[in-house]
Amino acid sequence: MSLTQADAQAWNQELAVQSPQDILAAALDKYDNLAISFSGAEDVVLVDMAAKLNRPFRVFTLDTGRLHPETYRFLEKVREHYGIMLEATFPDMAQVEAMVNQKGLFSFYQEDHKECCAIRKVGPLRRKLSTLNAWVTGQRKDQSPGTRVDIPVVQIDAAFSTDSNQLIKFNPLANWSSAQVWEYIRRNQVPYNELHEKGFVSIGCEPCTRPVLPNQHEREGRWWWEEATAKECGLHAINVENK
Amino acid sequence: MKITLVKKILADGSPCKKCGEVFNRLEESGHMDRIDEILVADERDPTSAGMLLAAELQVDRAPFFVVEQDDGSQQVYTVYFKFVKEVLDQITEEKDELKEILHNNPDLDFL
Repeated sequence: MSLTQADAQAWNQELAVQSPQDILAAALDKYDNLAISFSGAEDVVLVDMAAKLNRPFRVFTLDTGRLHPETYRFLEKVREHYGIMLEATFPDMAQVEAMVNQKGLFSFYQEDHKECCAIRKVGPLRRKLSTLNAWVTGQRKDQSPGTRVDIPVVQIDAAFSTDSNQLIKFNPLANWSSAQVWEYIRRNQVPYNELHEKGFVSIGCEPCTRPVLPNQHEREGRWWWEEATAKECGLHAINVENK
Repeated sequence: MKITLVKKILADGSPCKKCGEVFNRLEESGHMDRIDEILVADERDPTSAGMLLAAELQVDRAPFFVVEQDDGSQQVYTVYFKFVKEVLDQITEEKDELKEILHNNPDLDFL
């Protein structure tokens, strides 16, 4: 059953005032073919919340091949702790080989990270999502004031829906702050990635992630050598009256 | 079939980089002559033809393509590689499609 944009917006309004646990429960109620995306960072709270709902759920992770050893250990710890099958997805071998053979192992420092992320993350993600009707992410509004401020708790995933498969995306933590996430982790004794104890906030691939200093935004720990630029593809009409 | 391409001028008057890339790709592949009309969405001018069309079609990004069939039906494409594959029957590389998805959805690399 497909949702219209109006359906999705109405559902979002209804869910936006609910707790992440209730949003997750609604997602699991509605979609059998759904999986939670787990990056090996603080989105572990979604796995914990799903486990406490006492119903079947699926979790997948993108193994880019470049994660920290700490993250691999954490993925394994989560798999054992919750007794779940962690569905790992891997990049297309031929694409990685071609990129590395042509440009080396650290081409993202010379160019930018887009090609590497496209091959190591977006490709496997698209392949995985093509098998699902809905997915759940740990995206939050406070993670990036520039690009995540409008994240709804439920939306039609325009990036990965196809003519034959409408994909629904749930962001149960959209309205939570980092402080709320960490309060949940501490209160519920949720296992967490040991990198957080070393100053890492946002965790991605090892070459592209670094710890941040106090009061630095978490995004400053990712792709720090690239100039921060505005999201260029949007159409932003200038407010003529304010000119 | 009528194909309209809407390109963007940024608020500071500079050309949109992605639009330039799309133009270059169309030129290199010999498909520029398939484009019937080019409209400019000038962020400084909400009444520019491209801005008006974007508002009418509820498109929030540029460049984009509007394909109008002979029966009057319209299809909007905001993803270049989807457009060239479906409308121009051009073979595309998956790597390029993935890069465009990432470009249009800059949060995906934070997953």
